[in-house]
Amino acid sequence: MVERRFPRELGSLEPMTRFVAAYLDSRGLDPEHAFTVDLLIEELFTNMLKHGKGGGPEVSLCLAGEVAELSITLRDFDVESFDPTSAPPEPTRGDRGLGLRLVRQLSDSIRYEYKERSAVITVTKKVAL
Amino acid sequence: MFDIQIQDGGVIKLSGRFDAAQADHAKAMLQSVNRSATIDLTELDYVSSAGLGVLVQTYKRLHDSGYSLRLTNLKPRIRSVFVYAGLDKVLQLE
Repeated sequence: MVERRFPRELGSLEPMTRFVAAYLDSRGLDPEHAFTVDLLIEELFTNMLKHGKGGGPEVSLCLAGEVAELSITLRDFDVESFDPTSAPPEPTRGDRGLGLRLVRQLSDSIRYEYKERSAVITVTKKVAL
Repeated sequence: MFDIQIQDGGVIKLSGRFDAAQADHAKAMLQSVNRSATIDLTELDYVSSAGLGVLVQTYKRLHDSGYSLRLTNLKPRIRSVFVYAGLDKVLQLE
């Protein structure tokens, strides 16, 4: 498992992709998985920025797992609770809700926890060599 | 690296990674398109819901004015994002 903190801003998307690429390389996983992993992280991260009221200066991104299944966890500190898994399964209006729809389609599981003012979202994705 | 080029003849080329950090720039650029257009995605490597949203908004704006918007040359994984989002039923993908 590897964990790194990133500034709570859109500019973190690019360094997050480098973090993912390095993780996949270190585990000998096909770099093609980066597309889906990057997409899952971006959708969850931008959802935190958009809906997580309050929030500290950084978020934590944790990658775990080897061959077979990857686990992606994003933690938002000192933030109001916003459970994206409780949103309607379909986009509610026009282009709204597309990100969560993508996450549901691309991941194998999604779990939200809120404890001591930290919002933690974890998704898993089955992968192969 | 994301790039958007608006060419003569109503052709727009997107390339690189169209993520949330690029959405405002792309939206501003596409606001200048005010007639039927084709967006060539040959060199687009990545798109997220933020990019999809900009394309949907552009499509709606043009459609409401009686114009069309075609998206062409999507790589398979780019097309899959549109399909997962259910936009293959809304947008004209070729």
